[in-house]
Amino acid sequence: MGHSDQVVRRRARCLDMYQRRFSNVSQPVSLGMHSSSHQQQDGDAAMQGAHMESPVRYTPYAISPFHRRGSFLKQDQTHVNMEREQKPQRRVEVNRPHGTLGSWFKITIPFGIKYDEKWLLNLIQNKCSVSFIPVEFHYEKMNATFYVENASIASALKNVSGKIWDEDNEKISIFVCPDGIPHSVQRELKPEKVEQVKLAVNQQQALDIQKLPIYSGMAENSDSMADEGRGVCVRWKVRDGNLGRGQYCCCTSRVPPCLLVFSSLLPGDFMTCDTKMAPNPRKGVAASLHAHEENIPKVMSSGEMDKWKGIEPGEKCVDRSPVCTTFLNNSSNINSILELFPKLLCLDGQQSPGPTLCGLEAHKRLPTCKGSFFGSEMLKNLVLQFLQQYYLIYDSGDRRGLLGAYHNEACFSLSISFNHGDSALSILFKYFKDNRNIKMLQDPYLRGQLLKHTKRDIVDFLSALPKTQHDLSSILVDMWYQTEWMLCFSVNGVFKEVEGQSQGSVLAFTRTFITTPGSSSSLCILNDELFLRGTSHQRTQSALFTLVPTPFSSSMPAFSQEQKKMVKGFSAQSGMNFQCSQKCLHNNQQDYSRAVPVLAPPKVCVPMTESGDLAGAEKPKPNSQS
Amino acid sequence: MRKFRSNWSQGDRERYQERSDSYRERAGTSYLSRERWTHQEVVTSPLPKPVATSSLMASSVDFKTYVDQACRAAEEFVNIYYETMDKRRRALTRLYLDKATLIWNGNVVSGLDALNNFFDALPSSEFQVNMLDCQPVHEQATQSQTTVLVVTSGTVKFDGNKQHYFNQNFLLTAQSTPNNTVWKIASDCFRFQDWAST
Repeated sequence: MGHSDQVVRRRARCLDMYQRRFSNVSQPVSLGMHSSSHQQQDGDAAMQGAHMESPVRYTPYAISPFHRRGSFLKQDQTHVNMEREQKPQRRVEVNRPHGTLGSWFKITIPFGIKYDEKWLLNLIQNKCSVSFIPVEFHYEKMNATFYVENASIASALKNVSGKIWDEDNEKISIFVCPDGIPHSVQRELKPEKVEQVKLAVNQQQALDIQKLPIYSGMAENSDSMADEGRGVCVRWKVRDGNLGRGQYCCCTSRVPPCLLVFSSLLPGDFMTCDTKMAPNPRKGVAASLHAHEENIPKVMSSGEMDKWKGIEPGEKCVDRSPVCTTFLNNSSNINSILELFPKLLCLDGQQSPGPTLCGLEAHKRLPTCKGSFFGSEMLKNLVLQFLQQYYLIYDSGDRRGLLGAYHNEACFSLSISFNHGDSALSILFKYFKDNRNIKMLQDPYLRGQLLKHTKRDIVDFLSALPKTQHDLSSILVDMWYQTEWMLCFSVNGVFKEVEGQSQGSVLAFTRTFITTPGSSSSLCILNDELFLRGTSHQRTQSALFTLVPTPFSSSMPAFSQEQKKMVKGFSAQSGMNFQCSQKCLHNNQQDYSRAVPVLAPPKVCVPMTESGDLAGAEKPKPNSQS
Repeated sequence: MRKFRSNWSQGDRERYQERSDSYRERAGTSYLSRERWTHQEVVTSPLPKPVATSSLMASSVDFKTYVDQACRAAEEFVNIYYETMDKRRRALTRLYLDKATLIWNGNVVSGLDALNNFFDALPSSEFQVNMLDCQPVHEQATQSQTTVLVVTSGTVKFDGNKQHYFNQNFLLTAQSTPNNTVWKIASDCFRFQDWAST
């Protein structure tokens, strides 16, 4: 394929570039923001090799914006010397292997899959002030992606974004992300890199944590770094390596925190924060950094924090000039630091108090769980009435009556889950063959077969299921969607199997109905999904099923004293108004008079309050009507 | 991003699919797991056009197609939804319609703003989906707006809380263009199985 040929050709070109660049270290390579000189440092002998490139230690304290790299080096020198005197073995070196991990940027054109590669690249190149060599151009989902190896090129490409148009006159955007490494480059360098990283990490672990407060910050959600003027924000990303992907920050509470921003920190890089070294504690923190020089950290003032808002991770690499600013007092700093970095592991060389102690996670509580939700009183009544009728027939022993409840082209499916221990396994086993779990079932034929279609098939299937007894007094209903054509709700509850091998065993269910208004103000089922699982309260649930059948016959007067009492009780328990309860019972009575086995209506009530405690075994005995 | 969604021909679509697929095979999964940040959507191939016919055989073929379509959309959706919920929470509301509603353990959340606030306030999560079922919703309810019912179950661990079993269902609705389909959540209902004891 032409595509891969091009990749191969580019790869070859890139390797040439690597070789040219790194074979001659002493020659300053001016590539925009790349370092212009390197400094050799002592380190663990094991890490020194033939590869020459070495990181530069960086000290950002007391540096005004006007100082450029020249003065950094001077200060580096002094700091290097001091560090060396103290504890030389603590320094970790990463002598980067030949051509490793330059500064790769991933360039993405959203929806770029529409565009031909050559056409697109030409278009971009025409607009771009700098000539670039795209590496590993490919399409990823809907986007076109390639890599460039240079920060200034990446920056120039970013500027092209929105200034080019496609053939349909739609703007083309270009996104730049600093942490991409072309696959080919990764593969090339892998063995050595792994070795280096391993060494780096081992060394790191041996280092005194006092000297190396490294914290794990929020990985991807750290956009909201503004902390209302209480400090600045630091984060850096570790590219691959055993340190793990993520963002790290360094801060201390002894002086106002100085936080440094790095666009990328290479494996093995770490940060030393030593407040004693700060010439002016009010001014900031002495930090020495072993890092590739182009990862010059940037210290932001709190005012600049606002710039972080809404910035995608890929866009923060552009400005690399280091700045150090003054900070506010540190009394409130710990909390603000912890707020920004809830996963803080270590602060000032000591274990972080942890988010719970600081009350961080307390900020994020789960909302209180509530009981049934209905859209309105009218809908509530409608749904409850429907459910009463439905389960009356369902539990009656003859489910053919349900034909009237389903639409001609309704759908039904069953799914089960083994959650609550082995006790449920044997009970649920009989449902296993009809279990439709798309996650596990890949065969499209079976997926189709297990979905019951048309009311006849559905009712036939339901009729074959064991006879049940549902406990409508403890159901929970969530009405989650309604339009004038559709009413959707889910019913959670328990039922008992009253025949067969597992007679007496209790199962929990969640049944999801999608219904449409049918004839005579009833609901017509279009979709029905039944989910079954075991219940952990096997014994207590049986207490719910103490039903006392109260025979109704058509010979009884419409509203006897007894019935009035029941209606009142029903009304009180269910929260429905009196008339509605009456109507409800009346309807049921008519059903009962058809000699269908009876479930006493006073038991049919649904928790309406929000206390959320009615679905358990604490429910009062059904017979009591107080 | 929407402005880029211009009309593509069917042929183009297939070609693009081939382009990205071929690279994907070479590159391997670890490489690709990185990039989902460009847009957060569930996109599938165009929906089959309903065929007007009175023959029962033909209509059952159509139904099968709807079922397959529903399954594919549901699978794709569930993968994206829970991963987004766990790892890119801030992008989650992009999967919802503007007027979508969520009923979370009985709490009603309606509209994108409220949904944004709600998901922001929710602790970080770790979802594990064990069960997924789906059905195409009958057009009588949806007035021919293609909709899929998705039902899931599994476990979730919210930071600072114990693990819960949960049940969730979604109503996914298709926004079709001639060349692709974007699925969005019209409604979301979530419950802990042991909600009463929390």
